[in-house]
Amino acid sequence: MSKSILGLFQQPEPAADAMDGLKEAGFELGTFDVLTGTPYPEGAFGEYVPQHRLFRFPAFGAIIGFTLSVFLTAVTQLAYPMVTGGKPIMSIFAMLIIMYEMTMLAGVIATVIGIVFESRLPNMQPGIYDTRITEGWIGVVITFDDESKVADAESVLNKAGALEIKHA
Amino acid sequence: MASQAVAHESEHHAPPPNVDADMVARELIATTTGASGRFKAWVWGLGILSIAGIVALVIKFIDQGDDSTKWGYVAALVSFLLSVAGGAPMVAMAPVMAKANWVRPITRIASLFSFASVVTLVMLIPLVAILPPLVTEGARRRTIWYEAPDYSPHIWTTLALVMLLITGIMLFYSAALPDFASMRDHSTGWRKRLGKRLARGWVGTDAQWRTLRMRIGMFGTFYFLILVFANFLFTTDFGQSMVPGWRDAILPMYHTVSGFQAGVAGGVIALYFSRKYMKLEKFIHLDAFWSLGRLLFALTLLWIYFFYSSFIVFWYGRSENDIATLNHQIKGPMIWAFFGAMILLWFVPWWILIWNKVRRGTTVMVMGSFVILVGLMLDRIRMFVPAWSVPGDQIHEKWLKVIPETYWPDIFDILIMAGGISLVAFIVMMMTRVVPVLSVWQVQEFNLLSKPIKYIRGHATLVAKPD
Repeated sequence: MSKSILGLFQQPEPAADAMDGLKEAGFELGTFDVLTGTPYPEGAFGEYVPQHRLFRFPAFGAIIGFTLSVFLTAVTQLAYPMVTGGKPIMSIFAMLIIMYEMTMLAGVIATVIGIVFESRLPNMQPGIYDTRITEGWIGVVITFDDESKVADAESVLNKAGALEIKHA
Repeated sequence: MASQAVAHESEHHAPPPNVDADMVARELIATTTGASGRFKAWVWGLGILSIAGIVALVIKFIDQGDDSTKWGYVAALVSFLLSVAGGAPMVAMAPVMAKANWVRPITRIASLFSFASVVTLVMLIPLVAILPPLVTEGARRRTIWYEAPDYSPHIWTTLALVMLLITGIMLFYSAALPDFASMRDHSTGWRKRLGKRLARGWVGTDAQWRTLRMRIGMFGTFYFLILVFANFLFTTDFGQSMVPGWRDAILPMYHTVSGFQAGVAGGVIALYFSRKYMKLEKFIHLDAFWSLGRLLFALTLLWIYFFYSSFIVFWYGRSENDIATLNHQIKGPMIWAFFGAMILLWFVPWWILIWNKVRRGTTVMVMGSFVILVGLMLDRIRMFVPAWSVPGDQIHEKWLKVIPETYWPDIFDILIMAGGISLVAFIVMMMTRVVPVLSVWQVQEFNLLSKPIKYIRGHATLVAKPD
């Protein structure tokens, strides 16, 4: 069972100092994170930036939707061949509307699925938290497997000027 | 990170001071509770009108469901709602994607209109039932569906509007997740429970913020692509295909752009009333109105550009087909609606918005926005009422040989139109009881990234631009 502590700060500067301090104290990237109620510019706290795959989901969905739509329109037209106005049976312009709509539909559905995976939502175990974070406070959360490091983390947070430290 | 100083011309326009993050959260969450008596009276009035409109729609369908020539005003209403409710969320998206700071506090109001697309769908139901199939009595009418099954317009246009609704709601929800967390943390009662349920464990980690930005961008892009497509399908399937010989490649884009104009106008009206009656002056700065005024002015000029581009093709063409289209849409029995639309969608707003002083105020801006919405309704009437007035036995002709007489609205049409518009306003107002009318985190972000400063002898706002 991992343990977490949360240091609370009212200003961003000491929170960034705490993040620097944790790196200097040898805490691994990914074991500590910053919680904010406002999206600070990326890298404002020197935080670890994890890789994401969110863009792959709509692209994958769009490809699936496009492929299905080509299949649907082509097979329908080949199964029920009707020559209209001398145009070819497999006429791309007649297929475009359905191709576009199905590509969009599958893209949207895949994006929704992607969000569920990539945002780690719903987060059934949100872990340690404080409601003041949505009032502008900043939290620095550290997760440990090794409880011997708790004192080191507390020391870093206190040195940076944490106003309160919570344990979970 | 770059920064930009926006100078203000005089002492009068000194930027208001930033508001502390905790006060932003508390005051905006508090706007969802304690509605004023005036608010309740409006909600009751709009609710009653909405019910009357729905009842009138049902009665009209039972009474006149077999005669498509009586449904022009409902088609015009659907077009109007698609424009306003569909166009307004783009106000929330386009400037955000361009990293405009002024738009942050107002994106929520604009995205609330996404829910009003439900009304567009409700009003579409009888039209879908009445719209003739592609082939009737062995003859196929001229549409974009020249090889498709008979009920393709019915299925695909409806699906496009359903997708627009879903994408709009997802766009709203994506951007509202942090505010649901604020409701969970600072609200009470059912709002707290709702916030907890919808926040889905949001705590504000860096990864959550980064994916939030990305999904707003993705859903915004999807929304735009689907909105343009829905406009294209509706104008062709429920407009042009009902009139023999009406072939106008510019019409779908004209419809879309005038929808953006109406969306901005709707956004300005919602912003004005929220600011004034919910006492949000310290969060909604005049800067937002100035910027929306410029956008509205540009879109007003685009209206005349697209109209003229469409008109000139028929005017120069002079074929019987072109003359019939001009008589049907502009010069004939709908000339009153055309001139009304021209004056109210272009001339009056252009003359109002051209003045800097007007764009820097709020009262005349909101009056101009109301004028635009009235003009838009007249424009949709002049397009869709004559289109649906063409008798079913003539829609297979090569061109329109007999221009139908003006069809004036009956009591049901009036009730349906009043009810449909009321229902949109009702839904938007009721949504402000559920979520804060301004996005808490975006107002906080606005304050985080901008700072009022003294600039030489004047005032300015210093805006940080994170890339």
